[in-house]
Amino acid sequence: MLLMKNINKSFFGKPANKNVCLELKAGEIHGLLGENGAGKTTLMNILYGMYKKDDGQVIWKGSPVEFSSPKDAIANHIGMVHQHFMLVPTLTVSQNVTLGLRPKGYPFPNRTALNASVKEISSRYGLELDPEAMISELSVGEQQRVEIIKLLYRDAELLILDEPTATLTPQETKSFFDVLRRLRESGRSIIIITHRIPEIMEITDRVTVLRGGENAVSADTKDVTEEELAEFMIGRPLKHVRRTVSAPVSEGGLSLEQVSLVEKGRERLRDISMTIGNGEILGVAGVEGNGQKELAEVILGIRRHTSGKILMEGNDIGGLDTLRRRSLGIAYISDDRHNDDLIMDMDLMENMLLRYHCEKSFRSGWGLLNNAALCSAAQKAVEEYDIKAPGLKAPIRYLSGGNQQKFILSREIASALKCVVAINPIRGLDIGAAEFIHERLLELRSQGCSILLVSSDLEEILALSDRIAVLYKGHFMDILKNSNTDMVKLGLLMAGRTVERKDGQHD
Amino acid sequence: MEASAITLLTTYLAASVRMAVPLTLAGLGEAVSEKSGVINIGLEAIMLLGAFCSFIVTFYTKNLILGLAAGALGGAAVSMLHAVLSIYCRVNQTISGLALNFTVSGLTSFLFLIVFGQSTELPVCNVFNNKNIFVYIALACVAAAAIVFYRSEWGVRLHAVGEHPRAADTAGISVSAIRYGACLVNGLLGGLAGSYITLSQLGFFMENITAGKGYIALAVVILGRRNPVGIFLAAMVIGFSEALQFNLQTLGFSAPSQVFTMFPYLMAVAVLCLSIGKSGDPAALGIPYERDKR
Amino acid sequence: MTRKTANQMLSFAGISALTLLTAVIFILIVGGNVIIAFSSFFRGIWGSAYSISEVFVKATPLIFTGLGVTIGFRSGFVNIGAEGQLYMGAIAATAISLSFKGMPAIIMLPLIFLGGFAAGGLWALIPGTLKAKFGISEVICTIMFNYIAINITGILVRTWLKDPDYPYPISPAMPESAWLPAFFPTLRIHAGILVALAFAAAVYLLVWRTPTGFRMRAVGLNPRACKCVGISVNKNIMLSAVLSGGLAGLAGVCEVAGLHHKLLEGISPDYGYLAIIVALLGGSNPAGVIAAAFGISALQTGSLSMQRGAGVPASISSVIMGVIVLLVLSRKVLFKHLLMKEQEG
Repeated sequence: MLLMKNINKSFFGKPANKNVCLELKAGEIHGLLGENGAGKTTLMNILYGMYKKDDGQVIWKGSPVEFSSPKDAIANHIGMVHQHFMLVPTLTVSQNVTLGLRPKGYPFPNRTALNASVKEISSRYGLELDPEAMISELSVGEQQRVEIIKLLYRDAELLILDEPTATLTPQETKSFFDVLRRLRESGRSIIIITHRIPEIMEITDRVTVLRGGENAVSADTKDVTEEELAEFMIGRPLKHVRRTVSAPVSEGGLSLEQVSLVEKGRERLRDISMTIGNGEILGVAGVEGNGQKELAEVILGIRRHTSGKILMEGNDIGGLDTLRRRSLGIAYISDDRHNDDLIMDMDLMENMLLRYHCEKSFRSGWGLLNNAALCSAAQKAVEEYDIKAPGLKAPIRYLSGGNQQKFILSREIASALKCVVAINPIRGLDIGAAEFIHERLLELRSQGCSILLVSSDLEEILALSDRIAVLYKGHFMDILKNSNTDMVKLGLLMAGRTVERKDGQHD
Repeated sequence: MEASAITLLTTYLAASVRMAVPLTLAGLGEAVSEKSGVINIGLEAIMLLGAFCSFIVTFYTKNLILGLAAGALGGAAVSMLHAVLSIYCRVNQTISGLALNFTVSGLTSFLFLIVFGQSTELPVCNVFNNKNIFVYIALACVAAAAIVFYRSEWGVRLHAVGEHPRAADTAGISVSAIRYGACLVNGLLGGLAGSYITLSQLGFFMENITAGKGYIALAVVILGRRNPVGIFLAAMVIGFSEALQFNLQTLGFSAPSQVFTMFPYLMAVAVLCLSIGKSGDPAALGIPYERDKR
Repeated sequence: MTRKTANQMLSFAGISALTLLTAVIFILIVGGNVIIAFSSFFRGIWGSAYSISEVFVKATPLIFTGLGVTIGFRSGFVNIGAEGQLYMGAIAATAISLSFKGMPAIIMLPLIFLGGFAAGGLWALIPGTLKAKFGISEVICTIMFNYIAINITGILVRTWLKDPDYPYPISPAMPESAWLPAFFPTLRIHAGILVALAFAAAVYLLVWRTPTGFRMRAVGLNPRACKCVGISVNKNIMLSAVLSGGLAGLAGVCEVAGLHHKLLEGISPDYGYLAIIVALLGGSNPAGVIAAAFGISALQTGSLSMQRGAGVPASISSVIMGVIVLLVLSRKVLFKHLLMKEQEG
């Protein structure tokens, strides 16, 4: 059906795909597995015509093809659903589905007739939707359905899905897999890009593993085990971060009492109450978009909470601004470091200054900046945290994600640190940097810091947390102790169910 | 007394509509461009070159229709240059627009002096006899724009390109083509607006004849929230203040004329303030689109 | 010199060549003689003491306004209103000097500078606050304020600041204590240039070497990160607006106190808009601003001379300036092949 031979692609001299090969048979679900940065999305973007390959051949249905834009791919019945949805939020479902097509009567099409045909396709495959709903009003799971309908509307024979389950609850994932099976039965082929091994095992027929931009292995799914796939993906056996069971926590630390946040008439956070003691890690699990960012920002003071109390060591800090809360010893590691934590075009020294611009030690007598002090502070951070940077004066955008995150950590962690708020701290990082960050967090924990770890990666939560809170629609569904926690139970809580139900039911 | 109050009101309204015409035309064009994601601060340059070209052609050919066409094309030339800079070269659109204002201002001045020399008498050309023809054109454009924006697939594509160009790209729509097209419309309408000033209101051309109308049109677009009817209404508000300016002067108020010439600009600032909290800018406005961007 | 730097310089040389070519074309269109045109151009710049002094005279306000626009650019406040802020500064300087006629120069001069800075700063603070608190685009707002300020000047010189002895719209002469000393009796160059250079140094220190300046630059580069870290975005936008407007106001002070010695209309031949070009060509840093200011000033002075000597209309300078800016903006694309070479190596 599809054969990609010896694909090569580089960006600014850095190779993303090196002699990569992929073979797809008709009517099969094929998994494309690899870590972040392994080259999976690049490869598929080349297939879809978004990127131009430097070298290699793509053979579709027996003949070589050269797609110069998605239009060509679509015309050849290849469709792609990206990790970040390609939906215009201010248009309706129906308008998004027909975007780019020339329906009858163009440029004044019969919108009612189009709505009807969209509805027909959505019912046929179990993807229920209202064609006239505005995209901005849909949930993530529903938006994904729109994306799939888009492909089906164009008679796609090959569907490429990039990290489709990244933002779904376990229950939504189950119904999603049912949809995939139905599509396979109708004769279509599917390529799933993912880094989640259990899902590969469950749904795919064959799997190709990429590592560092190159092929690691291609095999039938039934012929490999999870451990083998993991090793192919990483290139070495996994190292598990060990969390020592701690003594009962002492008083103090960070606590929230019935904190709520209402913005533009919508309740983002509702009655959040929790206490993180000194030397404790509270993990916040939940599907992205349920109030995680809002929770962190309310604690830091970036957003003003509407009601409730925020206390640090017993003192109400709700009235303080961000600068003052930080000076009390609260550190923030955001999930969006490019926008929240760093100024990409400034160098390491100036990014260091971002946190310490009020520090007297960085100022000289006349009120000017003390560059020597800044320099040595930056140098110290680079050495202690083993940060690989092309010099202290290079703009920080030239550092890799892992090194940037290490730098942020080194900057935030000063003496007298009382509390750390971290959101998805290892997302997008390679294993080495991720392990480093986790080890540092555990170190802080043993030094008596209160840590709020918000993450959409359940493995991370289970590995590090002393207690786990589940956030759903801005409210803590429950706070559990982390011992022999049931994944199914967590999944249910994340999907908003407090009562145990049998699997397989739709939301 | 009643009757004269009504006549006064109608005269003002009529004058306001006429003053609003160039702002409406230029505003509609700019709205199309901004909806596609390209902001053009050089609206002033478009109108200026439109005025100049329409004047020259009408002066020499004595044909008003040809003059109109020349004005539209002149405006289009400026806007397409801005388009190439913004879309292909991906420069800062604000600076590009300002630079164009400078260049065209100097250029029209330069060319005017070459063609007509330093004469004490201002050369004049003939004007449209029926002043209302432009009003009809403007209203027709408002209606056409509303239909295109909200009832046609073109409008959907335009909207998509300005809000989420990557989504449009993956759907197979050519982001550049639509943006270039939008800039072309911007130039044609803006050039038309400039021609109006020369061919309908004044009958001559001189340095800086547009006197900031291009910038006021930008404010009109913001208040009108890029909605054709909204733009027309906002333009009416400013047109009203301009009409007021002329009338107060003739009514013999003893203050210096500058008090009155300030009105439209003060009104534009007030108009801007009224648009507080109603942003709704297209998400990709002013941001050049790069497909290969990681 | 690395290959990369050499290629960069080549691209700038290319821009210069294209600019010269444009100038030649325009001269020929007018029917002028290229040799005579260029020689009168250069004579207008350094041919006599007067020409050189004129270049300095025109560069002074450009340095001030260019510095103001630069501070704005660096903090994310696009100040197109330098023209209006200049006029407000001039108004303040005139009004203050006429109100306190008896004061000695040692108090008067700092007073009018302070007043001019405050007036310009305040004039910019209004659009600045509108942007910081309400998100209103400062681009259009500052442009409107330009027209308003120019009209206010026109009103004032016809009413409260009008000289009763003259039938023209012009203010009374400022007291001599408010005059910026000139260096030579027959030339117009005045001490304002020294003040300008001093402020250029001060701006450098403030913006690049103090925590305050760092905060402003940070807000300009990534306001979101500043919010997360506790740097107040609003306060810094407003601060940069005040500083930006204040510097432009100082340009106005210099023009009335150093050159005209009275307030009248038209003291600024678009200095405020030229400032944007100065800031752009100067790479948004003080040293570059000084160089660009002198460059543009030379261009304008030379063009005037070219008009006198070869009959080429002086508006050619606007065209050339616009062309330079457009070429500089599109440099990376125009010389794509030249500049991309070292990227793929």
